[in-house]
Amino acid sequence: MQRRKTPQRASGAATAVKPMQALSAPFGSTALQRIVRLWRRKRIGRLLRHVLAWSVAALYAAPLLWLLVASLQPVGQPPPRTLAWFPQGVAWSNYLEIFRVAPLGRQIGNSLLVSVAGALITLLTASWAGFAMSRLPASSRRWLVGLALLLMLIPSSAVWLPRYVLFSGMGLLDSYAALVAPALLGTRSLLALMYYWSFHRISCEIYDSASLDGAGVWALWRRIALPLARPTTLAVAVLAFTHYWSDFVDPLLFLKSTQRFTIAVGLRMLQQMDATNWPLLMAAVVVMVAPVLVLYLLLQIILDKDASLHLRSSRLWRDAPIHLQLSAGSRTKEERR
Amino acid sequence: MAAPFVFGALLLVVLPAFLSFALAFVQYDALSPPTWRGIENFAVIFRREVFWIALRNTLVFAFSAAPLQALGALMIALLLHPERRGVRVHRAAVYLTSVLPDVAYALIWLWLLNPLYGPINLTLAWLGLPTPAWLVDPRTALASLVIVAAVRVGEGMLLLIAAWRTAPDSIYDAAQIDGADRLRTFWHITLPWLAPWLLLLLIRDLVMAIHSSLTPVILMTGGGPGYATTLLPFLMYEEAFTHLRLGEAAAMMVVVFALIGPPIGLAGWLTRRWWREDAA
Repeated sequence: MQRRKTPQRASGAATAVKPMQALSAPFGSTALQRIVRLWRRKRIGRLLRHVLAWSVAALYAAPLLWLLVASLQPVGQPPPRTLAWFPQGVAWSNYLEIFRVAPLGRQIGNSLLVSVAGALITLLTASWAGFAMSRLPASSRRWLVGLALLLMLIPSSAVWLPRYVLFSGMGLLDSYAALVAPALLGTRSLLALMYYWSFHRISCEIYDSASLDGAGVWALWRRIALPLARPTTLAVAVLAFTHYWSDFVDPLLFLKSTQRFTIAVGLRMLQQMDATNWPLLMAAVVVMVAPVLVLYLLLQIILDKDASLHLRSSRLWRDAPIHLQLSAGSRTKEERR
Repeated sequence: MAAPFVFGALLLVVLPAFLSFALAFVQYDALSPPTWRGIENFAVIFRREVFWIALRNTLVFAFSAAPLQALGALMIALLLHPERRGVRVHRAAVYLTSVLPDVAYALIWLWLLNPLYGPINLTLAWLGLPTPAWLVDPRTALASLVIVAAVRVGEGMLLLIAAWRTAPDSIYDAAQIDGADRLRTFWHITLPWLAPWLLLLLIRDLVMAIHSSLTPVILMTGGGPGYATTLLPFLMYEEAFTHLRLGEAAAMMVVVFALIGPPIGLAGWLTRRWWREDAA
């Protein structure tokens, strides 16, 4: 504010003889100046923000583009020493080659098995836990929610060593059971909490009337709670699936035989086989990354539609879990600057 | 219905947490039965120079990566907060970096940071800037890992945008009536509103930085060059699975717990306070 006033004063002092008159410049001219200034400032500010936003997005997208370019580089050629935005000679054959060089097909199959099993079990356990949290009396609810929040703060990677000892004692090493085990507690307790947040919004009257009709707890969960929380189910399924798909440390520690390897450890195998063969390694990375990106984008699109249908004007919109809110965008509050 | 959840929590988190304390006091190689060793494990690791190097590296890594990450999340949240045409594309671009599998993320960066052919150094050379050897040079290796970790701000950004959205419009209207300019509105209203979230984010990033460092270290540097990027989780992994000294690895784990325990406790205390207020 202060800075913007100075030029006006300076020019006034230069032209006017009487300083008092200079300070109280003609009313019309300052108003005009102010309008011009505002207009300019807003336009420039907006343009600047736009450019900045796009450049940040481009900066974040660049690695993915470079990944694609690197994966299409023909094998055996020396990599270019100049910056390449397009591959020199597109070698789609790299994507066939990796399936011959490494047992990528089987590893993808293993990963799919683990991820689908993990996601399905997670859907059950997380929704049960969330349902219990939403229906229990306040005292035991607080206890359960507190446990879930506490678990959220302890990363599961903090306890891999004792888990290893535990699993070896239970004879679970080198089995998929060791990989899927976290699904017991809903993979990440966030997922149980997501269910809790969305079940929480269902009014008691619906449950009460169903109970009067003789519905038991399981029927309430399956017939009422789950159908009403469909977007949450979708989000939880995607988050759980990608968790198991991406998991690297667990299979690295718990799996021994190479034919059980998932794609995450498979990538490391490929890296160790030939660390300088970048095109093939990057092609394998693309194969691993693609389903994750597709799932997240699909989720966003579906939730967008769903949210605009059901949640848009909901009074409880603010209590919705972050994931839902964000993927649904904030149409509830427009333009706060 | 919460039985599986509680059972899983007990079996997979609570029991292992106690078990790791027990393991720290025994000699165990995963083959023969464990034997009692007292505090000898701690004495052994404290005598090793590598441990102190790893501890220092871990602290340097976590305390530079986490604040950078939180700051980056705040800046990008500021930029991408208003609803505008195209803003979803921007947010998605930033967020997708965070949902990439760790393995893929590490390998992509390994390629980007390749000193000879990597796109980053080629860009720097094209701009006429110096081209460091990144992960290969012991002086820049740890800094490279910090950059790789700090760039992932997707979740923090989403959290801050969501937290911002809970701020009532009325205080912004009041500020506008009082004639506060943009900078002041940010400084006196937005920042205090976001402060608790920022603090939680910072603590979370700190804890996660330490624990999620294992994957990038294994894939990108293997702890080297020399011991430049040997962080505690990696050293633990080496002790446990290369040298089969599970007891000593568990002792290191107890040290890590001691490091991250206070921040976790603080975060727990803070969330519980806010949770209460929300519930009331």
